[in-house]
Amino acid sequence: MRLRSLLALTLFCANASAAEPAEDKVELPTPSSSAQRLYSKAKADIVQLRSLLKNGRTQSSVGSGFLIGNSDLAVTNYHVMSQIALEPDIYVGEYVDTYGKRGTVELLAVDVLHDLAVVRIDRRGGGFFNVPDKLPTLVQGQYLYSLGNPLDLGFAISEGAYNGIISRSFYDQLMFTGPINAGMSGGPSVTVDGQVAGVNVSKRLDGELVSFLVPVRYVRDLLKRVAAQKEVPKDFKLVVGKQLQDHQATMMARLEKTPLTFKELKPYRVPVWESDQVRCWGRANGKQSKSYSYDQVSCAMESALYVSNQTQTGHISIEHKLLQSIDLGDLRFAALASRSFQNQSMGGHKDTRYTAPQCTEQFVTNGKLPMRAVLCVRAYRKFPELYDFTLLTASTDSDRMSLQTRVDTSGVTYENGLRLARIFLEQASREVQP
Amino acid sequence: MNAPFYVEVLTRNGEVRHRQRVDALPIRIGQGYDNDYILDDPHTSAHHVVIDRNEAGSLDVLDLGSRNGVVHKGKRRERLTIDGNTVFRLGHTNLRVRSADFSVADEMRDTTFHRWEGWPPAVTGLVLLALLSLETTWLTDTDKTETVRYVTAMVGMLVAGLVWSGGWTLANRIFAGQTRFGRHLFIAASGMVVIEVVSLLLSLAGYAFSLETLTRFGGPVMIAITAGMVFFHLVTISPNNGRRYAIISVLLMLLGSALTLTFNYQNRGMLAEEPYMSELFAPSLHLTADHPIDEFLAETGKLKSGIDEERSKALSEEGEGEGDDEFD
Repeated sequence: MRLRSLLALTLFCANASAAEPAEDKVELPTPSSSAQRLYSKAKADIVQLRSLLKNGRTQSSVGSGFLIGNSDLAVTNYHVMSQIALEPDIYVGEYVDTYGKRGTVELLAVDVLHDLAVVRIDRRGGGFFNVPDKLPTLVQGQYLYSLGNPLDLGFAISEGAYNGIISRSFYDQLMFTGPINAGMSGGPSVTVDGQVAGVNVSKRLDGELVSFLVPVRYVRDLLKRVAAQKEVPKDFKLVVGKQLQDHQATMMARLEKTPLTFKELKPYRVPVWESDQVRCWGRANGKQSKSYSYDQVSCAMESALYVSNQTQTGHISIEHKLLQSIDLGDLRFAALASRSFQNQSMGGHKDTRYTAPQCTEQFVTNGKLPMRAVLCVRAYRKFPELYDFTLLTASTDSDRMSLQTRVDTSGVTYENGLRLARIFLEQASREVQP
Repeated sequence: MNAPFYVEVLTRNGEVRHRQRVDALPIRIGQGYDNDYILDDPHTSAHHVVIDRNEAGSLDVLDLGSRNGVVHKGKRRERLTIDGNTVFRLGHTNLRVRSADFSVADEMRDTTFHRWEGWPPAVTGLVLLALLSLETTWLTDTDKTETVRYVTAMVGMLVAGLVWSGGWTLANRIFAGQTRFGRHLFIAASGMVVIEVVSLLLSLAGYAFSLETLTRFGGPVMIAITAGMVFFHLVTISPNNGRRYAIISVLLMLLGSALTLTFNYQNRGMLAEEPYMSELFAPSLHLTADHPIDEFLAETGKLKSGIDEERSKALSEEGEGEGDDEFD
């Protein structure tokens, strides 16, 4: 959760306040002469892509895109096109090129997992951007030039350095140490000789110039899929739903391949996954209270899939906390543990994205630790067979300690949700006292 | 029917507001000062009625040609035969006439505990409220003990109790002529203590026997206790209407519960107050058997069809009202 809020997709939304980006004190460096050369050559083939409300034709969000070769196909991010993919009744696409020409946009394919989309527009490219089968090899430190239309201010080019593939996100992304601003989403990042290296996708809000690109090989794969595609999907919701299914299967497979790590919250042993993608953080109340102690281990996947500006999915977070009484009596400790177990949000019933959550609750035991367990499930309204699971447990083996666990899994099948819940229910244990 | 006679002015609910002795018949009643009983009612005439014995020996009320007449049970009467229980209306005034030989009801058993009036119940109530505030603060006091928290909570609780019982005292003064503040304060404090104890018992029972419903529907139980409090306040004001007040309290309880459940349903999509039981107690208080993980997950598995059904229901509704999604 913490990191997700730090990661900003570089989409410029209508509801983003105009003052907000101005506070972002990243100034574009003066373009070098190679940037000047690149921009003048690339200029004809970059476009701004807008998603407009059909009703009133006002823009709701803007991003960038680039034409591939001499074709009429443009590549951009899925998140630039998500409204058009999911709500074609409400939103329609429009492009504006560097000469100010406008035209319609037809969505051809999306790749939610890597955040890419291919659209057809009513003009052809000049042949500057190409995605050949053999892709350029990048060397750390090499200059890359990122193109796009930051903050809807006008087309721009910015210079930065390539800094390797990062594995924190679920799918590979390139780290680009250069400025990418809202509105540049979907724009290309090219090498000095004009080869496409990646597609601008996001930046870290807590860092300076820490930006991310989608590697060009995924663009190549998607373009191949478009070439092989006989007809444009009628309902992209089905396509997105299918890809989310694929993602959750990959995520499950990867999680199950990762051995569980056990963290000690003495005297308990709690299971977590810790990997490049799932990071853990600890917290304790230290000496704030003399009457009880509080220790927490939280682990969360570093990235989540962007589905729409309100829905992110394909994520798992695990939180274990241990409350221990120092000098609270039974009743006061029970009240403390109850308060901690209480009022956990499971999602509302008026949400247009999900159904109302439904829960099972029981006293359970896995043979090693008795627990109070609550498991709540809600379904995605737009996508079939995808669910969010929330598992809550509280240990019931001691009157002076309460081990409470919350596991949130979003965007999984029912079966996988239950499988994940089972792992946490079965693996929690209390060490044998020495 | 023997002299003397008593003319009684009654309130709408039948209590005597004023009584006057008249030694002989006929009894003349009206606004004028030459009557035996003078009415202070502008809706009556100077000489409104005369009451006299009829041939049968009982009393008759005779209208003397007034504009508003004599009304009995909603009907205007020129002549009305009355006994000691007949209430008739002249203008805005309800009247009854009783003679000296009217036989009154048997002496009622006195159920009021007269020593429990004034200071003793008032002080007990205050002490209960103070203890309650200390208990609730203490229960959640897990950090540094700060006296000011306890004092603030106590002051808050006492003020709330005083305001509540003050309202009832005022009602008591208006409707029954006496205050009985101590009693009302004691009732209020006891009610609050009962609410606290019952909610603790509900939580305990819910945890002990895995009866989640007990904690999830605590609201209506608390409303029932509050309705009980209201009943005792009402009976304190007027001890002879117990039956009527019981009905009022039950109606209040039903109304309150219905409102709470509606509120829950609208705001949370369910009748219960919380989606799951959050109360945790010491393990020794948990008396039912633990279920195996398999069984728990199988139970969760059973939810799927319901959730899917809700989803398809929502989808079909969406299909009708196109574009009611809130993406922006």
